[in-house]
Amino acid sequence: MSGLAADLRVIAALGRRAVNQAFRRPQFLAPIVVFPTLFLAVNTGGAGRAIDLPSFPHVHGFLDFQLAGSMVQSTMLAGVSAGISLALDIEIGFIDRLIAAPVRRSVIVLGRLVATMVLGALSALWFLTVGLIFGAHIQGGVPGFLLVVLLVALCAAAFGSVGAALALKSGKASVVQGIFPLVFVVLFLSSAYFPRDLLLQPAETIAQWNPMSFIAEGIREPIAFGMDTGHTLKALLGIGIVGAIGAALSSWALRARLRSG
Amino acid sequence: MRKATNEVVRVPGAAIPGILAPTIFMLGLTSVFGKLTLLPGFATDEYMTFILPVSLMQGAGFTGAATGVNLARDIELGWFDRLILAPPPRWVLLTGTVLSASLRALMPITVLLIVGFAFGVNFPGVGGLALAVLLSCAFAATAASWGVMLALRFKTQSAAPLMQAGIFMAVLFTASYAPLELLTGWLHDVAEINPVTQIIDAVRQGFIGNVTWGDTLPGLAALAGLLGLLYGLALRGLHRVGA
Amino acid sequence: MERRFSDEVLAVAGIDLEVAEREIYAFLGPNGAGKTTTVRMLTTLLRPTGGSAWVAGHDVVADPSGVRRAIGVALQEAALDPLMTGRELMLLQSTLHGLPSAEGVRRSEALLDRVGLTEAAHRRVGTYSGGMRRRLDLAAALVHEPRVLFLDEPTTGLDPVSRQAIWKEVRHLNDEGTTVFLTTQYLEEADQLADRVGIIDRGCISAEGTPESLKAEIGGSHLELRIAEGGAERAREVMARFGELMPERDGILMVLLPHGASDVAPIVRALDDAGLAVESLDLVKPTLDDVFVAKTGRHLEGEAQHEAPGTAPQEPPVEQAAPA
Repeated sequence: MSGLAADLRVIAALGRRAVNQAFRRPQFLAPIVVFPTLFLAVNTGGAGRAIDLPSFPHVHGFLDFQLAGSMVQSTMLAGVSAGISLALDIEIGFIDRLIAAPVRRSVIVLGRLVATMVLGALSALWFLTVGLIFGAHIQGGVPGFLLVVLLVALCAAAFGSVGAALALKSGKASVVQGIFPLVFVVLFLSSAYFPRDLLLQPAETIAQWNPMSFIAEGIREPIAFGMDTGHTLKALLGIGIVGAIGAALSSWALRARLRSG
Repeated sequence: MRKATNEVVRVPGAAIPGILAPTIFMLGLTSVFGKLTLLPGFATDEYMTFILPVSLMQGAGFTGAATGVNLARDIELGWFDRLILAPPPRWVLLTGTVLSASLRALMPITVLLIVGFAFGVNFPGVGGLALAVLLSCAFAATAASWGVMLALRFKTQSAAPLMQAGIFMAVLFTASYAPLELLTGWLHDVAEINPVTQIIDAVRQGFIGNVTWGDTLPGLAALAGLLGLLYGLALRGLHRVGA
Repeated sequence: MERRFSDEVLAVAGIDLEVAEREIYAFLGPNGAGKTTTVRMLTTLLRPTGGSAWVAGHDVVADPSGVRRAIGVALQEAALDPLMTGRELMLLQSTLHGLPSAEGVRRSEALLDRVGLTEAAHRRVGTYSGGMRRRLDLAAALVHEPRVLFLDEPTTGLDPVSRQAIWKEVRHLNDEGTTVFLTTQYLEEADQLADRVGIIDRGCISAEGTPESLKAEIGGSHLELRIAEGGAERAREVMARFGELMPERDGILMVLLPHGASDVAPIVRALDDAGLAVESLDLVKPTLDDVFVAKTGRHLEGEAQHEAPGTAPQEPPVEQAAPA
């Protein structure tokens, strides 16, 4: 088997393991599915009249607007959960099993990222389905639906790389878990839940530059407004920025861990 | 009660999640949904004033739920067996546990009030403040009873998400983000019948207006009812241990 | 080979060793001696900070992939995912080592059967006992038929029956041609299994050889005596006239017997003449612990760490290793 084919096989095997882990640890699925869904329900019901505000964008319903925020929240938390799982692998010594095997070092992290992408895609399917059941419309139709799933999956992988970096650096699940509050800080300082120009200061100014805003708006566009290349490209840029930072940090942390044993 | 309170003194870091999350939510939700106050019918033009009481209840509620998580851990580690063999009657053990939750809730409540006032939340008057604190602490005791009941039922820390989700829904499926009249869809219907809506209204009244018996009594009654029900269920669970 | 963690911590202070093909070599030493650090360097989990090493003909630094293809590793903490089933772990391990699917399945099932885990293979590892986990770890280390097998304290924490099962399997593997490098803190394990033993203490090898040659090196048997209260000091003076005193353990006095069993009667008579009452007496053949005492001045087994008079550690004292 060629080197690339062997690597892909190992990545697939590690990815399968990580997906199984997520479903076998229900308490890890809660932050990815349960809490974002509850939050979606409360936000939609509690702030739904926001569409009556003068400068609120014209949408079919507040739920259509909110779905993106829940998906982004879910993928960020999926990335943190992936980091926690990797940290647990380090704590129990399972990672030594992978390091002592004749596989490329990078596949150790890539396998986990592939799993996070899969979980991201599944969470996108969940939220889109829930949205459709409760009356949302997807203005972009089937292409819009698929684009949303793709963007959410890529977003999950990007945040997974950040979670992996934290796990490799600290080696402790409790440290990775500690950044859960930070996820919400980043989300509240973006346009994930509300239009940028209707946020209070300083959130409005920070949201202009926050990559999460580009990502959330890129995911929201096909659902609430229709297909738009500009928003899609900006979302990919935001994902690329997060992914590049995560990849660089993961790579550095992995090298440091391999050096220090 | 001393054991539970000592845990906070010895491991103060453990209390941070119960303080940090509600504070972040209060500041975050204000940043995000602050302009909802422009809607006609909103009771105040300062969103943080409106949402602070919800955060007080969240902080108290999560602190109470943590009591259940700690008990589940004690059960898993075997410490609970020693506690059960102690001479005091079980209702005394339970009362000590839930009262300590009320006491511990003062930490997030204090932090949230300081942050809120620093960001310009209306001062509710001494009476309004005392009422808000008292009701929040009593809600912590209610949440602790809920947590204890689940801990005794499931005997594992894996039940923690259920404890927390219960509090999350209880507090947020109410007139939390906006007045009842401005809620939409199913949330409006649920908030109407959710007894915690009455409690939140009672906590909130001093911040957005005057404290009246008309707004206080329903909240007290709802709290007494919930506390009585959950305390009773927790006590029943406790009596069944080792039976 | 050397591994330094910081200016103060020298976990492995220059180890030179050679293990022949098809040999069972045991590294014997207490906790913190540097055993696990050495194994981690040889299995490419940790880079040496000095020196060099070749495993199965591959340099651990220059050609770690070559080393990894040739070795199987079962570490001190059985690195098993409690959420995986035994079968899933074996199949993952076979994939990590590049085995085609069908071959991986065949070998996995054969190994699960060999270690007696076929019935439990569908269950999650989290439900396994300690002995089952060790057996699974061993099976996983063998799935790719390695030339060299590294076992880091393979029976620590196991009951006697499980320990015997692991020993039996290790002997079987060695009979089939696998070179085994194992670390242990159990004398009996080194004694029973190893062709050669390296005694490691404070990051250095203090002695090396077959178990028999090591024991012969320090001479013959020793006598263990418990004296009635108040007589220990006087008893030491008497016993020292007949042979070299050894470090005491749990109030038991010990003396080497230069002439073996024939020294016993004169010693007992001398103690009696001195008015000392002997509460218990044992004639003990040399053990690897005696070798350890002779080389390091400390017991490997037991709590007492009394220095033997006139015996100094052979290497300069270094800080205990940071856990690898």
